[in-house]
Amino acid sequence: MDYSTLSIPQIHQLLLDKKATATEITKFFLDKVKLIDPKIKAFITITEKEALEKAAEIDKKIANNQTIGKLAGSIMAVKDIFLTKDIETTASSQVLKGYIPQYSSTVYQKLLDQDAIIIGKTNTDPFAFGGSTENSGFFTTKNPWNLDMIPGGSSGGSAAATAANLCHFALGTDTGGSIRQPASLCGVSGLKPTYGLNSRFGITAMASSFDCPGVFARSVDDIATVTQITAGHDKNDATSTHQTIPDYSSLLDSVNLKGLKIGLPKEYFTQAINPEVKAKVLEAAKVLESKGAILKEVSLPSTNLGLAVYYILVPSEISANMSRYEGIRFGQTVPDGSNIISYYMNIRGQFMEPEVKRRIIIGTYALSSGYYDAYYTKAAKVRTLIKQEFESVLADVDVILAPVSPTPAWKIGEKCSNPLEMYLADAYTVCINVAGVPSLALPCGFSNNNLPIGFQLIGNFFEESKIMSIGHQYQKITDYHLQQPKL
Amino acid sequence: MKVTPIIGLEVHVELCTQSKMFCSCSTTHFHVEANTHTCPVCLGLPGALPVPNRTACEWCIKLGIALGCTPNLTSFFERKNYFYPDLAKGYQLTQFEKPFVVNGKIVIDGQEIRINRAHMEEDTGKSIHLTTGGQDLTLIDYNRCGVPLVEIVSEPDITSAQMAKNYLLKIQQIIRYLGISDADIEKGSMRCEPTINLKIETDDGQVIYTPLAEIKNVASLTGVQTAIDFELNRQLEEFKQTGEGKSKTNKTTRGWDADKNQTFLQREKEGSSDYRYFPEPDIPYINFTQAEIDAIKVSVPELPDQKVAKYQDVLGLSDYDAASIAQDFSFANVYESVLKSHLSDSNLKDFTKFTANLFLGAIKTHLNESGKDLDQSKINPQFFFDLFTAVSNSEISATVAKQVITESYQTGVNPIEIAKSKGLIQVSDSGEIEKIAKEVIESNPKAVEDYKKNPMSIGFLIGQLMKASNGSANPKMAKEILEKLLK
Repeated sequence: MDYSTLSIPQIHQLLLDKKATATEITKFFLDKVKLIDPKIKAFITITEKEALEKAAEIDKKIANNQTIGKLAGSIMAVKDIFLTKDIETTASSQVLKGYIPQYSSTVYQKLLDQDAIIIGKTNTDPFAFGGSTENSGFFTTKNPWNLDMIPGGSSGGSAAATAANLCHFALGTDTGGSIRQPASLCGVSGLKPTYGLNSRFGITAMASSFDCPGVFARSVDDIATVTQITAGHDKNDATSTHQTIPDYSSLLDSVNLKGLKIGLPKEYFTQAINPEVKAKVLEAAKVLESKGAILKEVSLPSTNLGLAVYYILVPSEISANMSRYEGIRFGQTVPDGSNIISYYMNIRGQFMEPEVKRRIIIGTYALSSGYYDAYYTKAAKVRTLIKQEFESVLADVDVILAPVSPTPAWKIGEKCSNPLEMYLADAYTVCINVAGVPSLALPCGFSNNNLPIGFQLIGNFFEESKIMSIGHQYQKITDYHLQQPKL
Repeated sequence: MKVTPIIGLEVHVELCTQSKMFCSCSTTHFHVEANTHTCPVCLGLPGALPVPNRTACEWCIKLGIALGCTPNLTSFFERKNYFYPDLAKGYQLTQFEKPFVVNGKIVIDGQEIRINRAHMEEDTGKSIHLTTGGQDLTLIDYNRCGVPLVEIVSEPDITSAQMAKNYLLKIQQIIRYLGISDADIEKGSMRCEPTINLKIETDDGQVIYTPLAEIKNVASLTGVQTAIDFELNRQLEEFKQTGEGKSKTNKTTRGWDADKNQTFLQREKEGSSDYRYFPEPDIPYINFTQAEIDAIKVSVPELPDQKVAKYQDVLGLSDYDAASIAQDFSFANVYESVLKSHLSDSNLKDFTKFTANLFLGAIKTHLNESGKDLDQSKINPQFFFDLFTAVSNSEISATVAKQVITESYQTGVNPIEIAKSKGLIQVSDSGEIEKIAKEVIESNPKAVEDYKKNPMSIGFLIGQLMKASNGSANPKMAKEILEKLLK
């Protein structure tokens, strides 16, 4: 039986019906990972031992007629910036190579507590800095749909693992599009929740006021199941929400598509977008229109400022967040102890990847005396403006529908020589992070050369339930999310 | 030439809250095994997030109110970026733009010293430098890392080393009244960094300010005074030689060498360091309602100045006695609790003075000798009133009162009973005293001769009489009777 195409509830039921054991399911996935992963290189670490131990624990519970967790038997892949106790966590950077954390991130721990089985840690751009995994300090992950192509990023390993059916769901983080863009380029679903819905505790920080942990799965249904568990206040994260978490799964059919007002922001459909992508995204809108939704052009006039705001505020926060990586308490060390400054320079010079250094330098510059007001303060003001624009448009329409990436996946190496071009690929995702609202990326077709194309549904703060309901209903009438790459 | 010292003080105080500023580790770090009170947060591990300690924030506001400051209803933390091994995160959480409290003042030696602000921050770890086997090592103890620290910044209103010392003593006293820190300079829970220069008015009417110097590592109260005096002289001598005035770039940092009793240059030509402050994105803005601020205000006890004024004006104590009683908060409160046993207004001031004398004389002497703090449970207010009544009625002498109150404090026995059992009740029976006086005159013919030549020498005979009566004779009557008999 191919356990990898089953949904989370189906796996759960199999265990309850004793038609499969968690160990069987786990072994099936381990075999599959060993066969497929050398082609796509989604994983940095494969956690065979931990996976089999957890599976045995679940099987024992079943044998003893004990209650099993909601995710029992489901296989998860975890982006390597989530701290996993006793399992090496590198953040895909040489500077953290060999680091074995003594504690686990809240989100990961909550999933473990519901008996999810970790199969491995996935590749990413280092500390999630990038959009292709090409900045990784170890290797580049390949797009399962075309091995010459990037999978997107930064959570490219998690997206690729999900697309290749190497897990039932995968954890990612989205600071400027790092869940939605790889989901879109790999043809899977991915949710970037409202800032604060999922705890950031135990995840290496990129930009603290932007970072959003979230989940990849093939269906919105499974995303709802996992988000139900991860969401909610964490006493260890002062910015996590105090909102009551709705029962997402039971609300998947709650939104009535008839009369639903969908806004299409004109700034997201300009000449900059690849025509194939534009056509497929508009087709998705038409599908919803055919079910009674009302399409309406809306405007988010500050969209063109989004990238500027993002690439000032995010590196500013990064420049401070990266300071703790100096090789004294954890991570790589060097024998040079002649003086502290040369030690710092050795560690950071030798082990930090070029993109990490680039962002530290940009951020340090933007925060420097004499530049702070011109850059940081001004960007913070425009951030408020962008947030207000989203709130105002979302007062007028129920949801915003937009493309995720201006193009399908590009060739590995194609944009490496030009960091600015790489940054421009984030144009349709960053504003959502600047504002902090939730967005769900869904597959909506393929390009002529068979690369996945996705769109996003953007809701108002804490409207995950609404966008997931619309996404779920879209997936009931389309089958793009069921397509699988041939590997 | 007229020379006026200009001195401002930055005072750091560690709060004695149960847990650290941003995590739940214990704040104890003095004589604690290194790195045992640590966790991912205060070690600055990847993914760890700060959660502010509300009690510490409230105590900072409480201290600010006691220093006459105005609280900000909304304030926030900022990151102060610099690298040092004992600063785990590579930035310190502190307050820059919006401290909890601003614009206060306290009066020292009749002069107002303005307080610019009191803000909340976190302490760093401790670097321990040592040489082992000819090798220089630096070890780091992170137990202190993250301990709540309040920084009190004065305006440069202090004009002498003595005043600086008195300012520190007053701040220390207020902090101890509030019970928020032991404010022990020797233990490092209170630290002081003076910034000093001179205003020089030359005879030809020029006004020149000497370059600013900040003095670090002053670890005792006398050190503060000596260091400031040294630095004032040094600056004057330097000015006489160079005539150099203050500029934007010639501020220096000088260390204090307590062995050599001199300051030495640590850092030269320091512009304002670029710490690249920016708002801490991991912690939402901290808000206090007016009602919450009012509740903190109510919790501020009667402060030293108010107590001294009350003791002088209402209780009729001398300036010295009032200040001595008010020196220590709990001592003052125990003193006040005794006064409550005096139910009528008649003789109130006699009773307050009588009690003050016992507290500052007998009891304090006993405490100093035993090295213990005053124990409220050993003080029975009724005993003091009984003793006062007995002395007023000449049943017990003031000397005996001092003697028996000390014993009563130690044993819990009523002092009157002690006096009785030791035969120390004062004899005011003139027949009885006359009998003893006659014996004394008979057995001291030489002293009688002396008295006849010099009436001032009667003291010896009184002494003999007191001795013969085991100290129980009323000394006033003894003198009168002796004079009568020797006429």
